[in-house]
Amino acid sequence: MGDALLADYKRREFLQLLGGGATLTLPLGSAETPVRVRLAENGIYEAFTGKIEMGQGARTLLTQALAEELQARVEKIRLVMGDTDRVPDDGGTWASLTAPETVPAARRDAAAFAGRPLTEPAQWRVLGTSAPPLHGREVVTGGLRYCSDLRVESMRHGRIVRPDAYRARLESYDDLAARKLAGVQVVREGDLLGVVAPDAQTAARAAALMRAQWKAEPLPDRDALMRSLRETAVPPVEVKDTRYPPLIRRGDVDTALGSAHRRLWSTYQTAPIAHAALEPRAAIAQWDGGRLTVFCGKQAPFLIRAELAKAFGVPETRVRVMVAMPGGAFGGKQRGECEWEAAVLARAAGAPVRVAWTREEEFRIAYARPPAVIDVESGVDAAGRLTAWRFRNYNSGAPGLAPPYAIPHMSNEFWRAASPLRQGSYRALAATANNFARESQVDEWAHALGRDPVEFRLANLEDARLREVIERGAARFGWGKRKAGAGIGFGMACNLEKAARLALFVETEGAGPALRLRRMVAVGDFGAALHPDNLRNQMQGAIIQGLGGALWERLEFDGDAQRTRRLSQYRLPRFRDIPDIAIELIDRREIASAGAGESPITLPAPAIANALFAATGERRRSLPLAVG
Amino acid sequence: MKLRLDINGRKLRLHVPRGIRLLDLLRDYAGLTGTKYGCGEGQCGACVVLVDGVARKSCLLTAASAVGKKIVTIEGVASGQRLHAVQEAFLEHAAFQCGFCTPGMILAAAALLERNPQPSAGEIAAALQGHLCRCGTYPRIVAAVTAASRRKAARRG
Repeated sequence: MGDALLADYKRREFLQLLGGGATLTLPLGSAETPVRVRLAENGIYEAFTGKIEMGQGARTLLTQALAEELQARVEKIRLVMGDTDRVPDDGGTWASLTAPETVPAARRDAAAFAGRPLTEPAQWRVLGTSAPPLHGREVVTGGLRYCSDLRVESMRHGRIVRPDAYRARLESYDDLAARKLAGVQVVREGDLLGVVAPDAQTAARAAALMRAQWKAEPLPDRDALMRSLRETAVPPVEVKDTRYPPLIRRGDVDTALGSAHRRLWSTYQTAPIAHAALEPRAAIAQWDGGRLTVFCGKQAPFLIRAELAKAFGVPETRVRVMVAMPGGAFGGKQRGECEWEAAVLARAAGAPVRVAWTREEEFRIAYARPPAVIDVESGVDAAGRLTAWRFRNYNSGAPGLAPPYAIPHMSNEFWRAASPLRQGSYRALAATANNFARESQVDEWAHALGRDPVEFRLANLEDARLREVIERGAARFGWGKRKAGAGIGFGMACNLEKAARLALFVETEGAGPALRLRRMVAVGDFGAALHPDNLRNQMQGAIIQGLGGALWERLEFDGDAQRTRRLSQYRLPRFRDIPDIAIELIDRREIASAGAGESPITLPAPAIANALFAATGERRRSLPLAVG
Repeated sequence: MKLRLDINGRKLRLHVPRGIRLLDLLRDYAGLTGTKYGCGEGQCGACVVLVDGVARKSCLLTAASAVGKKIVTIEGVASGQRLHAVQEAFLEHAAFQCGFCTPGMILAAAALLERNPQPSAGEIAAALQGHLCRCGTYPRIVAAVTAASRRKAARRG
């Protein structure tokens, strides 16, 4: 399942959205073109979207948007999500695009359906209010069917036999013992080896009884891996018409660095980490003649449809992907790996087959957030203004590459590298690594010049909204009122990411494994707050999730295998790690909404690293921070 | 093997594979999928159910060990249409995002309030420390459990 397919899909999505088109679906010879809204029975509107709900609030928000323009109550709208036979392709549920792109599309389509002009934001009655989450009652009663809760008639259970090594070719296998279990069938296709059984317990026993010989590929150790990222990287070229340009230049950075009054040069690193969504992925595949139907919990049903069609050599019109809610995804559920596995087993078994990954498979088989090596070289003039900025991200990605600061000469570069890891999307993508490097470097400048970190940032920023966010945060936090010391540190970081203006102020205590948070103040300006309570929930949740990558998370590899395989080996944020958090929103009804699901996760790592420096004088340039 | 279990006040006779975990029996044989699998080693709390009123991780229990005990899952917490105070509070505080951890959180919180009707925020955090919420709604959960304890106290009046 090549990444050319992903790149092609994302490019199509980007160009369609640029052109203002509401939907991506191209006519594929199917009988019906998907519609956005129609009147169903009893005055109920049935509405359709290719977006999916994964806890981020898309179902409630899109229903509000439709209700606003249809002038109907939220309860009168039934929203069908993520069923490729029935909904328009709204692109993947990624990149925080639902609020800025799909909400406007849904509003336009609903207004057109109602034959009315769009409602002016000042007149909103439904948008801008905190409607109770539509999945709430099912959540608290246990009635919500997540993808791992689905069952279909005559379903059998698959289990994949995995090598211990991270990558390996299947050389041979002995299935004698496994096939002695009643109803067990063994399936091999290339390097995929699996069993199908009448129940999940038997499938697990059968898989454990399989004896397979694998030829393992070696993995570099951690230091060699990080070195190889810089060594194998290729320089970027300018690309137009892309959401995340890999090269963003202004002025003449080489000359400006040469003539700078002072210069700094630092390298920052981030570790590969796992999404660790609480629900391990699961899929059910069912063949009916040459038609494939897959139930799953993935973020990009149309991309997965394309992957499966390609893998099995059938037209996309003969593949239907239906999404049930995943129990968290965070960018980790975009590709069709377990869907493909289920489909291979189902075809061989001649029956619907369910493949549900274990937690260990989630850790070992799923793709990870890519590790980053980032070189930053920057310079200031005699007045202490940033004048030159060269920023090179090796391997982790282009999102969030450019600084919010007004720097006359800069070159922001994403260098693609040959990483041996399975790596892919993650909430906010590389914006977290890039903001960690950028906001650490800016903090290093403030201290090098003897300036206050808040004052230094404000002096180098022109964006009025970001300045206000920082000023409000500083006031609420009481920035500068107390001196760091005795193990206590104060730090902050800001960002202008995906059109959101953000700042986080933290108070830390201790260092190394004893490092902990005492207090946090976050301020966000996302333009119009379409659902203020969910915006707070998303902002707070992203910051809390970001504590894990900032402080503890790191996948470990050894020889030819990934060693991190269980939650007990992987420290994640828990109740007692969470300090008092204040979340403040600036609601600008007149400004188009930025997405909010991702960008706040870029704040904790640099804010904490900066607090740690203030407390200890030690500059940590590598994530995670709270390790020995 | 055949097991007789008392689940949510109903007596069930189930034919299940030998050695099955309580978690798998609930999900695969009793149709109670509100109890979630998250890790299988007692680290995440998504599978917590009440066994004789005590919050237990059902991934670490054999189904056979639950014979003769009263099991309550998330599907059995409400009284008919009337939600438990903790369920109501989770709704009012929107103390979830994806909600996958919520059943375990609600059951553990309900058990906490039975033994400690007025827990402090620190006591709530300590009681729920074994539960992961990857969406990061921890402060909302603490606020919801606090609100539920106040509501229960007011009802007792």
